[in-house]
Amino acid sequence: MPGRGGMSGQARFPDSGLSVKLSRTQIDRLGDRLRSAPPSEDDLVLLDEFRRSFGPAYEIVVGRVQELKLAPTGRPAKSTPSVIEKLKRETIRLTQMQDIAGCRVVVPDIVEQDRIADSLVAVFPGTPVTDRRSNPSYGYRAVHLVVQISGIPVEVQVRTLLQHAWAELSEKIADVVDSSIKYGQGPDQIKEVLKVASDAIAEFEALEYNLYGLKLDDKEVELKQKWIEKIEERKKSLAAICDRIKSNLEELKKRDQVVR
Amino acid sequence: MIFLIEYDRHAGRLVEIKSFSKADRRAAEKLRLQTELQLNRYGVNHEIVLLEAANKEALQRTHRRYFENVLELADRETVVGNR
Repeated sequence: MPGRGGMSGQARFPDSGLSVKLSRTQIDRLGDRLRSAPPSEDDLVLLDEFRRSFGPAYEIVVGRVQELKLAPTGRPAKSTPSVIEKLKRETIRLTQMQDIAGCRVVVPDIVEQDRIADSLVAVFPGTPVTDRRSNPSYGYRAVHLVVQISGIPVEVQVRTLLQHAWAELSEKIADVVDSSIKYGQGPDQIKEVLKVASDAIAEFEALEYNLYGLKLDDKEVELKQKWIEKIEERKKSLAAICDRIKSNLEELKKRDQVVR
Repeated sequence: MIFLIEYDRHAGRLVEIKSFSKADRRAAEKLRLQTELQLNRYGVNHEIVLLEAANKEALQRTHRRYFENVLELADRETVVGNR
């Protein structure tokens, strides 16, 4: 894994197929430069080479995820603006970044999400699971796994449809309104309503989880009906929250003309 | 399929998308870097990224931000319609 032992400074990623071996020091110095100034052409070429070295590990992980009958969208290399933003935002070294390569799977609901996460751990034993459902990151909820292939990290994101809808919206708002919104900052009227939406999705999914857990015996038929009614209520309130977000965005657009 | 995406984050706008077969991975990677270098020369700060999906529809489901505007993404039907 980059940045956590295993690399002595040379012969990095021996299986990567790269003609030039990159040293850890070389990459971390690149990270320092990217953090402090716009990238030069040489730095963009070096960053590209570094990211490409994740290719073989990425292909193994995506292949194994596909074997689970899933349809991941792969992102073999994190984009330059995303790498630079992360370097600026965090104290992390470039070789420590765990999400240079990765893929995303979107599943219908939280029960399926659990099942997929378990299957992935079975396929990649010992892989740590970061459950951002119980511990959201500024409202972002999902399950992430960082698989290690010969010491190279590849991130697998598993999101439910609702978690995904929230994440896409939050990302887009960060693009066109304020990039700090993803990290708990930005305009209050957007930040707060995104938090409300994230909490509402969490409640909705908790109810759904309970519903799936019910057995269909006589005793629980009535209970099941109640859960279904509650879920329908939550769905309506979530739709109302969406309307609020839209209206707040339109308000911002009128006032500041920043929303595109 | 492999998709090369040029996205203007600030404008929230997809500038260009090109598709490649998996066999053309190297060509896609090469073009990604060339595009990035060229834009960098002109001081254009766009996101140039390669994504891999079964087809464009699958890509549009998992990476909607590149294809939809913010109001579309906030639409109640978009968010809860399929639940």
